[in-house]
Amino acid sequence: MSLNELTLTPSQSPSLAKGKLVVSPSQSLGAVRRPVNTTGWRAWLFTVDHKKIGIMYGCVAFTFFIVGGVEALFIRLQLALPDGRILSADKYNQMFTMHATTMIFLFSMPMAAAFANYFLPLQIGARDVAFPRLNALSFWLFVSGGLILNASWFLGGAADGGWFMYAPNSGPVFSPSNGVDFWILGLQIAGIASLIGSINLIVTVLNMRAPGMTLMKMPVFTWMILVVQFLLVFSLPVITVALVLLMFQRSYGATFFDVSQGADPLLWQHLFWIFGHPEVYVLILPGFGIISEVLPTFSRKPLFGYPFVVFSGASIGLVGFGVWAHHMFASGLGPVSVAVFSMATMAIAIPTGVKIFNWILTMWGGKIWYSAAMKFAIGLVILFTIGGLSGVTHAVAPSDTQQTDTYYIVAHFHYVLFGGMVFGLFSGFYYWWPKVFGKMLNEKLGSWNFWFMVIGMNLTFGPMHILGLQGQPRRMYVWTEARAGEGLFNFGFWNMVSSIGSFVLAVGVLFFIINVIKTARNPQRAPLDPWDARTLEWLTTSPPKVHNFDRIPVVHHLDEFFHRKYVEDETTHTMTQIATGEDLMRAEEAAADSDIHMPGASYWPLLLAIGMGVLGMGVIYGTPIMVVGALLVLFSAYGWVLEPSVPEAIDFDTPSTDGHTKEIAPVG
Amino acid sequence: MSHSVSPHSSEKALDIVNNVKSSSHRIRNSVATVVGIVALAGCATNAPQDTWQPKGDNAQVINNLQWIIFPMAGVVGVLVLGFYAYTIYRYKDRGQPIPSQSHGKPVVEIILTIIPALILTVVGVFTFRGIFELAKTEDTQMVINVTGQQWWWEYDYPAQDDQGITQPIITSGQLVIPVGTKVLLRETSRDVIHSYWIPALNGKKDAVPGRINLLRLQADKPGLFAGQCTEFCGLSHANMRMEAIALSKEDFAKWVSNQQKAYTAPADGTLAKEGEGVFLNQCIRCHQVNGLKKVDGTPAIAAPDENLYSGAAPNLTHLMTRNTFAGAKFDLLNKACRKDVWGAKSDVIGAKYLSGVSESCLNATALRAWLRNAPAMKPMYADPAKLVKSGGKYRGMPNLGLTETDIDKLVAYLLTRK
Amino acid sequence: MITPGSKYFFGLTGLSLIAAILYLVLVNPTDLGAVALFGLATSGALIGVMASFTRDGDVYTDEEAVAANAVAGPPSFWPIVFALGAAIVLTGLATVSVVFILGIAVLIGGGVEWAIQNWADGASSDREFNEFARARAISAIEYPGLAAVGLGVITFFFSRVVLAVSKEAGPIIFIVVAAAIFVVGVLVASKPFMKGAVTVVLAVLAVIALAGAGTFAALSGERHELAVAAEEDYYDASHRECGEEESEHYDHLPNSSVSLRSAVTATIFVKDGKIYAEAIGMTKKVDTITIPRSNATSVMFRNLDEEKHRLVVNLGSAKVAETGVTEKVGTCTQLTGKNQEQVMTLKIPKPATEDEPYSFTVPGATGEIKLVVP
Repeated sequence: MSLNELTLTPSQSPSLAKGKLVVSPSQSLGAVRRPVNTTGWRAWLFTVDHKKIGIMYGCVAFTFFIVGGVEALFIRLQLALPDGRILSADKYNQMFTMHATTMIFLFSMPMAAAFANYFLPLQIGARDVAFPRLNALSFWLFVSGGLILNASWFLGGAADGGWFMYAPNSGPVFSPSNGVDFWILGLQIAGIASLIGSINLIVTVLNMRAPGMTLMKMPVFTWMILVVQFLLVFSLPVITVALVLLMFQRSYGATFFDVSQGADPLLWQHLFWIFGHPEVYVLILPGFGIISEVLPTFSRKPLFGYPFVVFSGASIGLVGFGVWAHHMFASGLGPVSVAVFSMATMAIAIPTGVKIFNWILTMWGGKIWYSAAMKFAIGLVILFTIGGLSGVTHAVAPSDTQQTDTYYIVAHFHYVLFGGMVFGLFSGFYYWWPKVFGKMLNEKLGSWNFWFMVIGMNLTFGPMHILGLQGQPRRMYVWTEARAGEGLFNFGFWNMVSSIGSFVLAVGVLFFIINVIKTARNPQRAPLDPWDARTLEWLTTSPPKVHNFDRIPVVHHLDEFFHRKYVEDETTHTMTQIATGEDLMRAEEAAADSDIHMPGASYWPLLLAIGMGVLGMGVIYGTPIMVVGALLVLFSAYGWVLEPSVPEAIDFDTPSTDGHTKEIAPVG
Repeated sequence: MSHSVSPHSSEKALDIVNNVKSSSHRIRNSVATVVGIVALAGCATNAPQDTWQPKGDNAQVINNLQWIIFPMAGVVGVLVLGFYAYTIYRYKDRGQPIPSQSHGKPVVEIILTIIPALILTVVGVFTFRGIFELAKTEDTQMVINVTGQQWWWEYDYPAQDDQGITQPIITSGQLVIPVGTKVLLRETSRDVIHSYWIPALNGKKDAVPGRINLLRLQADKPGLFAGQCTEFCGLSHANMRMEAIALSKEDFAKWVSNQQKAYTAPADGTLAKEGEGVFLNQCIRCHQVNGLKKVDGTPAIAAPDENLYSGAAPNLTHLMTRNTFAGAKFDLLNKACRKDVWGAKSDVIGAKYLSGVSESCLNATALRAWLRNAPAMKPMYADPAKLVKSGGKYRGMPNLGLTETDIDKLVAYLLTRK
Repeated sequence: MITPGSKYFFGLTGLSLIAAILYLVLVNPTDLGAVALFGLATSGALIGVMASFTRDGDVYTDEEAVAANAVAGPPSFWPIVFALGAAIVLTGLATVSVVFILGIAVLIGGGVEWAIQNWADGASSDREFNEFARARAISAIEYPGLAAVGLGVITFFFSRVVLAVSKEAGPIIFIVVAAAIFVVGVLVASKPFMKGAVTVVLAVLAVIALAGAGTFAALSGERHELAVAAEEDYYDASHRECGEEESEHYDHLPNSSVSLRSAVTATIFVKDGKIYAEAIGMTKKVDTITIPRSNATSVMFRNLDEEKHRLVVNLGSAKVAETGVTEKVGTCTQLTGKNQEQVMTLKIPKPATEDEPYSFTVPGATGEIKLVVP
C-alpha cells in the first residue's frame, strides 16, 4: 500500500467528483493522517485488528506469567527450609502480593482476553469486534496498568498488603511506601481496560453473529466468554469504587477505613469480595470454555448436554455474586450471615458438578485422540475436580474456620485456578496454535510439557493440603521448626517437596517455551484442519486473512464446521465425511465477497493509554505530572473523536464503489 | 447411585450406571485407601497446630463436621475420577467409527444435578447446626478480653468473682485458662485486623479494630496449645504467635493469686535493684509494671500512647511466669526446660508451668539479644527515620542502645518479675 | 501536525509548564502562583490543540476556487456570547469571584465556538458540509461540556429540594423520581415511533419543574433541624460537653447504625432510678467494665426511666497546665429521654491511680459502674 504518497487531488476525490468543492473529512479534520502500515512495528502498535491485538495480549500476558512465576519460585525458595533467608520479611510480603496480583490481573485475565479477542469474532463468523479502536485501547491500557504495577519494584518497593489489600493494613501509616499507591493505580487502569473490553465483547456477541447463529448455536467458548464479560461489567465497578476510596485515603487524606474516625474496616472486605468472588469465575470460565471446545473435538462428539453446560456456566456466574462473604467466615459476621453464605457456597457446587459430569460424558462413547491439547483438557477436569471437592470442605463454615488462611486454601485455589485455568489456557495454546501461526506445536515436546506440569503442579500444591491441615498459615515469610511437628506430616519434608515441585513445574513451562521456539524455526506449515475441528474459526485460512472470512458464513448447526464436513445417516447414525477442510476453504474462496472494508488503524488508543499511565503516576508524584497526563488524555480523546471510525473509501488502495465499508453480520 | 436412575432413562444412562457398578469393587478399595490417608493425616503426627486434633468441645464440633465432609468429598472424588479414568481408558481411538453426534440425555443431566444437590443438603443441615452451636454465648463461664496489635496479643481478665478473679489481670503472649470452663474471648484490635487461632481449641476469629468479636474456647485437659495470627497483619505477621495454656482448676487458682499479688521490689544493693533503676529510666516509657514506684514514691505509669502507634506494650509485671516473649516468637525458657514443660503429661504440666522461669532455665541469649537490638530480632517499624506517616510513633520496639551492663542489670531485674 | 499558529500556543504551554515546575520546586509548592501557571499551560495547550486540529483555521485544499466560491456563513450569535462573557468578567472583577469565574467560562466557551464556526464557514462552498465539519470539530467539546453543566444543574436543584423536605420525604422523593425516570426511559426506548418532539417537551417540562421546585426550596430554606444544627454547630463535638443542654437535635437512636452494633463493648441502663450494666458476651449483669488501654471503645447508655438522664464518666483529675489548678477529668452524654440511647466512645491512654478510680455514674440515679483500664 502506498497511501503515504497518495495526495488528495480533485480528480481522485469521490466527493469532488460529485461536483462540489469538498475535502475528505479524514483529511481535513484531524491533525494527523491515520497510520496505514500493514507490516513492521507500526502495523502492531497502531493496529485495531482483533487478531493482532489478541496476539499482543497473549505475548504480554505470557511475559507477566513468567514474572509471576519467578515471584512464585522466590516464595518457594524462601519456604523450602525453616527460617528462610532468601527474602526479607518486607520483600516476601511484596513478593506474595505481586505474585497474586500479577497472576490474576496481568496473566489470567489478559490471557483470557487474548483468546477471546482472537477467537470470539472468528467463532461467531464476524470480521472484527464491534469497536476496534476501543479494543486497541483496552490492550494498551492493560499494558500501561501492568507497567505501573511492576514499576513499583524499582521505585521504593512493591505493594505489601496482599492482593486482597485489607484495610486498615493498606492505609498510609501501615504501608508507608508507595507500593500500595502503584497497586491502586495499576489496577484502576487495568480495570478500565477490562471494563471497556467486556462492553466491546458483549456488543460484539449480541450484534455481530453470522446469519443463522442463534445464541443456542453459539460455541461454548464464546458463551463462557460472554458470561465472563457480564461478570466483569457488574463486578469491576465495585472494586473501582473500593480502589477510589483507598486512593483518596492514601493520597488525599480521606478516612474511609480509618477506625479512629469511626470507619468499619469490614467495608473494604465486603467491597473487595463482591468483586473478588465473581473474579474467580472470571478467571476460570474461559478455561472451561476452552476445554468445552477441545474435549468434543478430540472425542469426535458434540459436547454432552450443551444447554446444560451453557446454563450451568451462566448460573455459576449469577450465584457467584451471592457467595462473597465465604471469604469472611472468620471476620465476625454473625451466625445468620455465615449460615446463608455457607449454603449459597454449597449451592454453587451443583452447576460446577454438572459441568464436570458433562465433560466426562462428552468423552464417554467417543473416539478419543490424546493430543497435547486433549491431555491438558483432561488434566483440567481431574485437577479441577480435586480443587472443587476441597472447596466443598470449606463451604462448611465451621470447618473453614480451621482451614481459612492456611496452606489448605492455597492448595485449593491453586488446584482450581492453576489446574482449572492455566491447564485450560495451555490446552488452548496447543489446540489453536496452528490456527494463529499456521504451524503445529511439537506434540512430543507438548507431552513433556504436560507431564512435567501436571507432576510439578501436584508436587507443589498437593503437599499444601497436608501443610494446611497441619496448621501452617499462609502469608508468613518464615515457618519455624517450633511449630513444624515431627513424623510423617512435619512441615520440613512437605515444604521441601512443594518447593522441588515448583521447579518441576517451571521446567514444564520451559518445555513450552522451547516448543514455541522450535516451532517458530520449523518451516513446515500446518494443515488447514489438523484436528478435524468443529467450529467456524476453522473455516478460514491459518493464520486467518485480515478480513477473517472470504464470505460471511451462514450457520445451520451447532458445530457448523463439522456438519459441513460430515453427514449423519438418519437411521444407522453412522457419520460419513463429505468434504475436507480444504474443500470447504476452496468453496469459500471461490465465492469471496468483493470490496471488504476493514476498520483503519489509529494512533489514538495508544496515546490515550500512555496519557492514562502518566496521569496515574501523577497521583503519586504530584500535580505537574498529573497535568501532563491529563493533557495527553484530553488531546488523544479529542483526536479520537475527530477521526472517522471507518476510513473513507479514498483511504484504501482499492476504493469502494458502492460506498459500503465494513461487513457487519446481522443479528442471528 | 444406581437406585436414583429411573427405569425410563435411556439405555445410555443405564450403560453408564452399569459401568459404575462393574468398577465398584475397585472403587471400594480406593475409598479405603483414601479414608486411610485421611485418617493418617488426622492422627499420625504431633504438629502443634494440627487442625484434626481437637482438645476441647468447640474444636470437637468442627472436627465432627470435618469427619462428615472430608470422607464425603473423598468418596465422591474417587467415584467421579474412577469413572473418568475408565472413560479415558475405554474410549481411546482404536479405529472405531466416528460416533453418532448425540447432544446428550436430559434425564441423565437431571439425575446428575439432583444427586449432588441431595448430598449437599445433608451436609448443609449439619453445617447449620455447627454454625449456631459455635455462636452460642449464653453458657459462658468466664470472659477474657483479647486485644491484638502489631505484632503481639494482650489478654486482660476482667474481675469475675465466681472464677476467683477479684482484681483485673493483664498479661500477654500466653493465654491461661482453666480446664473444663467455657471461656469466651472478646477480641478486638488496636491497629489492623488480626486473627486469633488456637487450632486445638477452636477455629479462627478475626480481631477487627472497632469491633468486638466473640470466640468460645474450652479445653478438656491441662496442656499447652500453639496458635498463630492468621490474618495478614503487616511486616512481622509470621512472628505473631500465641499459646494457650489450660490449667487444672486448682492450678489456675494459684496462677490467678500469683498474678494478683502486690509488687515486690528487689532487695537493696542487688543487681536486680539496679535493674529496676534502668527499667524506670528506659522501659517504663512503654512497658507497665504494676505497683512499680518512681524514686520519688509516686506510681510509675507507662506512656505507650506517646511512643507507640498502637498505644500499648506488653505488661511486664509477671513476665517470668510466661514461657515466651515478643509476641510468643522467642522462648524465655532454654531448650531443655522448654521441652520439659511442653512434653509434660497433663497431670504435671500445671505444676511445671507455674514454676515459671528460673535463672537456670532462662534463655538468656535470646532475651539479651532482644534487649540489645530488638528490631534485628524481629522485623518491625522501629527506624526513627521512617516514622513520618505514623507521626513519629514506633510500631514495635526500637533499638534502645543499652550498654552490656545495663542489659545485665535488666535481665537480673526481669528475672524477679514472677 | 504542528501548524504555525499552534506553535505559539505550544511554546506558551511548554514555557509556562517549565515556569510552574520551577516555581513549585524553587518558590513554594502550595502557592496559588503555581496553580495560575498551570492554568496558563492548560489553556495554552487547549488552544494549541484546537489550532493544530483546525490547521489554524486554514482549509487544506489545492483549489483556489474554494476561496472564491466560499459562501457567507449563517448568522452567528457567538460574538454576542463572547461579548457577554467579557461583560460578566468585568462585573465579576468588581463584585464576587464566582461571577468572575462564570464570566471566564462564558468567554472561553463563546470564543471557542466562534472560532470553530468561523473556520467551518470557510471549509467549503457547501453549507451542509460546513455545518457537518463544524459539528465534528466542536461536538467533542460541546457534548461533554453541556452534560457537565446539565448534571450540575440537576444536582444543585435536586439537592436543594432534598435539603428542604423532611428526612422521611427525601428518600421517597428519590424513589419516585428515579422510578419515573426509569419508566419514561423504558417508554422512550421501547417506542421508537414516539416523536422526538414529545421527548424534548417531556425533558423541558421536567427541567422546568425541577428548577422551579429547586428555586422554591432554596428560597424557603433548609429543613428545621438542619438549620438549627448549623446554628448550634451540631457537627462539633461540643454538644457532648457536660452542662446545660444546647441542642435537641442529637441522634436519639445511635444503636440503629449497623456498624455500631458489634462495636459497643457494654451497655449501661438506668431503670427505676438505679443503674446497671451488661457487657457483650457476659451472661450476667456486670458492675465493672474493663476496656483496653489506648483503644477507642464505645459504651452505650440507655435510659429506661421517664425522667431524663445522662451518663457521666469520671476519669480522675489532672492538673491544668496553664492555671496549675487540679480539675476533674471526665465527659458525659446528652440528657436522654425514655427508651433513648447515647453512645460514648472512650480512648483512655493510662490506667487509673489507686486513690482515684475511674467510674460511670448517672446523676439522679443510684449506683456506680466501675471502669477498669488494666
